[in-house]
Amino acid sequence: MSILLLVAVAVPLIGAVLAWAWRHRGFAHWIGVAAAALSLAAVALLPIGRPPEGSMVVGGRLTGGWWHEFEAAWAPPLHLDFSLAVDGVSWPLLLLTALLGLLCCAHNALGAERRSAPRAESRAAVPHATAAGAGGVAVSPTAERASAPLQVAPATLETGGPFPTADQARGVPAGPGHAADPATDPAARPSPTLTALLLAVQAASMLVFLSDNLILFFIAFEAVLLPMWAIIHRYGDPAARRHAAAKFALFTVAGSLLMATGLFVAVADTGTADLGAIITAGGVSEPVSLLVFALLAVGFAVKAPLWPLHSWLPDAHTAAPTVGSVLLAGVLLKLGTYGLVRVAGGLAPDGAVAAAPVLAVLAALGILVAGLVCLGLPELKRLIAYSSVGHMGFVVLAFATGTEAGLRAALFGNLAHGLITPLLFFLVGALKARTRTGRLDDLGGLRLAAPALAGLLGFAALASLGLPGLAGFWGEAFTVYAAAERGGAWLALAAAAAFGAFLAAAYLLRMLKRVSHGPVAPAAAGIGDVSAAEAAVWAPLVAGTLLLGLVPGPLLDLFAGGLL
Amino acid sequence: MRVQEIDHAALLPLYLAAGTAAAALFAGRFAKAAMMIGLTASGVAAVWVGMGPDRATFAVGDWHSYAADDPAMGAAALFAALAVLVAGLSGRQAGEYWFLLSASAAGGVALAGSRDLISLIVAVETLTVPLYALVAKPGRDGAEAGVAFLIASVTASATALMGAALLYAAGGTVHLGGLAAGLGDAHAGLTAAGLALLLGGLAFKLAAAPLHAWAPLVLERAPLPVATYLASASKLGGALAVVWVVHFGLAPGAFGSSEPPEGFAGGSGAQQSAGIVLAVLSVASIAVGNLGALAQRRTVPLLAWSGVAHAGYALAPLAVVATAAGRSEAGAAASAALAYAVFFVLLEAGAFAALTAVRPGSGSIFASRERQTPETALESGGSHESDLDVRGVVAADVGRRRAVEAQSAAGGHPARGVGEGGRVAELTGLWRAAPLPAALLLFSVVGLAGLPPALVGTFAKVAVLEVLASSAVWLAVVVAAGAVVGLAYYLPLARTVLLGRPAARTRGRYAIGVAAIGLALLAVSLAPQLVLAFTSLAP
Repeated sequence: MSILLLVAVAVPLIGAVLAWAWRHRGFAHWIGVAAAALSLAAVALLPIGRPPEGSMVVGGRLTGGWWHEFEAAWAPPLHLDFSLAVDGVSWPLLLLTALLGLLCCAHNALGAERRSAPRAESRAAVPHATAAGAGGVAVSPTAERASAPLQVAPATLETGGPFPTADQARGVPAGPGHAADPATDPAARPSPTLTALLLAVQAASMLVFLSDNLILFFIAFEAVLLPMWAIIHRYGDPAARRHAAAKFALFTVAGSLLMATGLFVAVADTGTADLGAIITAGGVSEPVSLLVFALLAVGFAVKAPLWPLHSWLPDAHTAAPTVGSVLLAGVLLKLGTYGLVRVAGGLAPDGAVAAAPVLAVLAALGILVAGLVCLGLPELKRLIAYSSVGHMGFVVLAFATGTEAGLRAALFGNLAHGLITPLLFFLVGALKARTRTGRLDDLGGLRLAAPALAGLLGFAALASLGLPGLAGFWGEAFTVYAAAERGGAWLALAAAAAFGAFLAAAYLLRMLKRVSHGPVAPAAAGIGDVSAAEAAVWAPLVAGTLLLGLVPGPLLDLFAGGLL
Repeated sequence: MRVQEIDHAALLPLYLAAGTAAAALFAGRFAKAAMMIGLTASGVAAVWVGMGPDRATFAVGDWHSYAADDPAMGAAALFAALAVLVAGLSGRQAGEYWFLLSASAAGGVALAGSRDLISLIVAVETLTVPLYALVAKPGRDGAEAGVAFLIASVTASATALMGAALLYAAGGTVHLGGLAAGLGDAHAGLTAAGLALLLGGLAFKLAAAPLHAWAPLVLERAPLPVATYLASASKLGGALAVVWVVHFGLAPGAFGSSEPPEGFAGGSGAQQSAGIVLAVLSVASIAVGNLGALAQRRTVPLLAWSGVAHAGYALAPLAVVATAAGRSEAGAAASAALAYAVFFVLLEAGAFAALTAVRPGSGSIFASRERQTPETALESGGSHESDLDVRGVVAADVGRRRAVEAQSAAGGHPARGVGEGGRVAELTGLWRAAPLPAALLLFSVVGLAGLPPALVGTFAKVAVLEVLASSAVWLAVVVAAGAVVGLAYYLPLARTVLLGRPAARTRGRYAIGVAAIGLALLAVSLAPQLVLAFTSLAP
């Protein structure tokens, strides 16, 4: 079974290389989809043959062990081994990563977003593409792609008529019939290079979740950066992407190098870089524990992100393309929280206890600040992005309590956010592609214009605000419970978190009111409803949100068997 | 009368390299072939000797002047390989070019084995002196580069020699093996002054602050193949010299099997002074190099300034011998510094090789002397006035460069005369014009930034941070901060290469050389053991 660990990481990487190498061919997208699907299958098979739960008891705490391990020496002088391992904490995150990777690749391959966009898009793309090409910052990675909109333009002009706004006003539905077949219509789909970059992000993220060696963990953590930077920089919103990509890169590298310093202090202190061995030995020695935890926590807090180190996130999310935002929210933020819970908490438990109050206060402040900021944000995507700061605040607060309930709440909330927020980003991306605006002021009446889309948006928003019965509820409810359980000053933090959850309800309902209700805004008039391709991509996330909300037990049991 | 026994097998790589230099001088039109074959043989011999048991020769008592252990032979092979690479990137040149290049490489091979202060400094000089002629291409710019390099180099050599003399006065020996013991009860001030002068002078070769100012000036004006050599092999020489002095000269491990003598505890005083000197050099280089690179708009100065910062990263692990915790793992620290230097030098070689391949070169360096105009001849002849005031030259040059850049920006023509590297903007769309060199340049730049998938740079960073994290966390934070600033200029450079449309048709040249260094970088990325196996110094 341990070879599956290698397969899960290697297949997306190979898929990325192949999709890029054959980027001029029509089937490149499907190579990406196949690689992501294979990786998902490999991850899904991992629980087979795992040891019975609770097989290890260390220091009075019930800890599980690795399910499977894979090890190969790489560079012993640097303490670097290519060792992979999986357990109940990392497996759900792996599954989530593989699932989101598959959905993003399928989203690209089906051209879900472009096909649903109004016809004006291909016309609008012509001056845009040529201007960008002449300006020296070409959007297009290949000559073929640069010329593609030019070739398509006459056809759409013929069928669509000369006045794009007139089309919209007449309410011509822009269904799948617009672009006949995505396989023959290159303009309907983003470049295969984007798929390759997505797969690279997926492979590196899975390596982070899988690595049982601290140096390998650091390398994988760094490996996520460049592909993600390229996704934002190359495929993002032209107005903001350069600034956002640079900010993302600088914040992330600063964080990950501080984290690396913390990891190396731990390696020097314990003399080994084996994550599992250090955790079972009880972490680093007392004198350096706080230092290690502080360095690691700052590094992971940038990635998570924890207020006040979050300022890269709204920019990056807003500027990134839809699939980029989905991976950012669903996978990259999880790297931070996973690192905080597993690595920082596992390497320096003493430091974690000492630093818990600071972490908890920052997390609670983050929840409140995010809630208040979201109440006033005028842009849809930025609002969803900022709400992530609040949700991650809940996760960090739950971790800071240090109790069993808190840890489970942190892990559960982490995973729930990884299902709900990507769904929201998919929906908002689809909405923005249709209406060509994300401003709340310009939207309205989606309930009438596209009822299914409005319904899904409502579902996701309700899940995000923590409606009981949906995935978002358990993590946040138990966070408040775990904080209140500690008593004393923690009660105030619990109250702040509860108020933050109330703020979340307020801003999400405000968003729904502005977007779905009211008279149909001009921008929303005549937009197409959910297409089959989109429904297929979103369905697993909807199902997952429902499943986790209704049956949280099995997942919580998995966490209990994890190595923490 | 007893004759000193000489282990000729240990000296084989050096014999071959020196013989190559002599052959290149007399081989006429076959000089290039002779040089490449000879230096390849020297490199192979170095690997062969390194595979065998450790050898040493020129013994005085227990101390040897020349050692052929793993680090020495690995470094010697690397010197030979880099010189062959530069030869492969050079095109047609006159005979003396090959002689000078192989003489310099022979100096590198000698440096790798040197284990006493005198042969160390002589080897560094042998490595450097041929470059005075090589950097000075015809015309005013070449003269400026040559003069600036000459003055800076002579100053640094004098400084290092003075430092070595003071250390000899303090310790009573020039053998690195005996220095630590000799300095044990020496006058502390004398030791500190000697170390500061010696290390400062040797750090010149590495282009570490405060003796870094020559690097951007000279690299920009030198022909690109020579700049490749200066940025790779020559810097490796500086790094080796510093590491040898600190590790073999000051670390207690240098005693080998013999026990440290009585009263050795005083030796840590020398280590402490060395550590403080190195920490100052390192932090200054990181700060100056990164800030300098941020302001650059031309490719070669950008790489040169960032190279100053990398010199700082390479010196950083050595600085930990200033602390008690660091002294206990001085061997690991020196290994990390050496490993960083090797990884960095490979990446620099990659970046400069790619640049050489895509930029229009100046052609032959010596053959075109006859075609000098009287004006340029006068200028290069009149360079003695710049001897008096280097800063005047630099200032005048900056002014003129601005004028040239303004002119080129207005006219749309690449700046001619100053720097073959050109502006960063001229690399726009290189990815489409010349994929192979562009890929190498991208890989090297990403590696210099320390990011995967260019794992060479990541390994280098890991090696340094691992040592720093255990004994000098503050220095690790400085290195991390420097790396973050570095991203601010490396990423735009990578973006420029990757995106956009090429303005002019660029044809990649020297495909074999580019492919060779590219494959070497890939191999080291996948199997860092190739480098780490020989850079590990005994604790």
